[in-house]
Amino acid sequence: GAMRSRAEVDATLQTAKLNPAELLPAVHCLSFGPQAGTGECCLMQLEPGLCAELEAGRSLVIRGEKDEQAVLCSKDKTYDMKIADTSNMLLLIPGCKTPEQLNADQASCNIIHSQIAGFSNSYWELRRCRPKLKKLRKLLMEDPYEGPDSQNDQTSTFSKYTTEDLLSLIQASEEQIMHQLQVIDAFKIGGYWRVLEFDYEMKLLNHVTQLIDSESWSLSKVPLRTCLEELGCLEPTEMIERILLSYGRKYIDDAGAIYFEMHEDKICRAIAQMLLQNAVKFNLSEFQEVWQQSVPEGMTTRLDQLKGLALVDRTSRPETIFLLKVEDLPEDNQERFNSLFSIREKWTEEDITPYIQDLCAEKQTVGVLLTKYARSSMQNGVKVYNSRRPIS
Amino acid sequence: KAISLARSSGAGGLAQWVLLELQGEVEPRQSGGLAGSLLGDLHYTQEGVPVLIVGHHILYGKVVQLEKPFAVLVKQGGSKAEPTEPHARYTVTALIKTKLLFKTRPKPIITNVPKKV
Repeated sequence: GAMRSRAEVDATLQTAKLNPAELLPAVHCLSFGPQAGTGECCLMQLEPGLCAELEAGRSLVIRGEKDEQAVLCSKDKTYDMKIADTSNMLLLIPGCKTPEQLNADQASCNIIHSQIAGFSNSYWELRRCRPKLKKLRKLLMEDPYEGPDSQNDQTSTFSKYTTEDLLSLIQASEEQIMHQLQVIDAFKIGGYWRVLEFDYEMKLLNHVTQLIDSESWSLSKVPLRTCLEELGCLEPTEMIERILLSYGRKYIDDAGAIYFEMHEDKICRAIAQMLLQNAVKFNLSEFQEVWQQSVPEGMTTRLDQLKGLALVDRTSRPETIFLLKVEDLPEDNQERFNSLFSIREKWTEEDITPYIQDLCAEKQTVGVLLTKYARSSMQNGVKVYNSRRPIS
Repeated sequence: KAISLARSSGAGGLAQWVLLELQGEVEPRQSGGLAGSLLGDLHYTQEGVPVLIVGHHILYGKVVQLEKPFAVLVKQGGSKAEPTEPHARYTVTALIKTKLLFKTRPKPIITNVPKKV
């Protein structure tokens, strides 16, 4: 239809018995634009920081497969998405000016014909969530790297993932994904991200620790060059360097030579895993003895090195220890707690913490999680936690 | 799969739109649907109070600065897919930091009483 004229606007004001002198001179005549009813526009409520990101020119990404709940990812954060309904109607108006803007712009047009671009009674709400990273390890474990001699590595790229693949499959921000790749010691071969198969990893580690022993090097000063020279005939040099990077801290001395300060805790922990994975459970004191004998000279084993890897049962006679890896447990909070309580009915806070620490949202404590998902009681003067509901 | 909410490439950054929040539903007056039809006239008083004349009603509202701004996502390609469906392509076209909230019940013009007695 024809656009409204000033005369028509004034006539309406008169009918409405509104005094033009009490109003700002500019009027917006609102009409529905051609695409208004098509549902092409939708609204997303932004959490703090996201608005600034968009204004800075950065993109956001929605990630999720058909069977997953979609998440929104910025450069470094992940958000759950949920539809919120409102009983009101929300109309989207481009180019609509506020009173401040009208007052500031003295030359503004008297009539502003504004088209409503769309309307809705719902919008997407975002809620910051933990990145869903369990899938990352799962994908890379589909085809762990077993060394150059391994048969299956030659041709198939079926279960191999590039950075782009991971970005489209993992429900997390790029920064969170790249950080996790570092945490799990992943590395790239031919553009594909890989993790070492555990036995092969232990084989590589063993080469290095044997060499450290035979050369009587200090554990905090392991020279890269000599390692490559001595071990390069046994394994690819990239893999020797890789194992040093995983289990040591790289530094350069004043002369420019590269050394590694070996991570005692990480090495002891890996060796424990190697020992523990061979049986359902072990006699604790026997295990501790074998474990200490198995680690490199100069390293001391301690049970606290095994947090999130193994669990000690002090109620059994004799006391036992068994492998329980936090990364094998469910990612969802309720499922994680169900799983833990089906393994053990009552937990002390000290024992359960390594197995729920990763569930904590930013600024959330283990205590908060325990209050929500567990019930506490006293047992022999010690506070223990059990399930809120019966576990089948 | 991943759906990128790309920034729309307009000169000079994202547009700023305004949200108008009304009670009730929007219904077309004519049978031809909404496109092109008038909603009403939006005025502001000298004090900055938004006044909306819709049909035979006057609505008084207020300007609200949104604590959480909105992003406006516009579908590309015109399909009816939701943003969470794999085939949807969306562009962030604008930001909304301000809304005009009309919560008051509409005053029918016929019975409008002048403010000053």
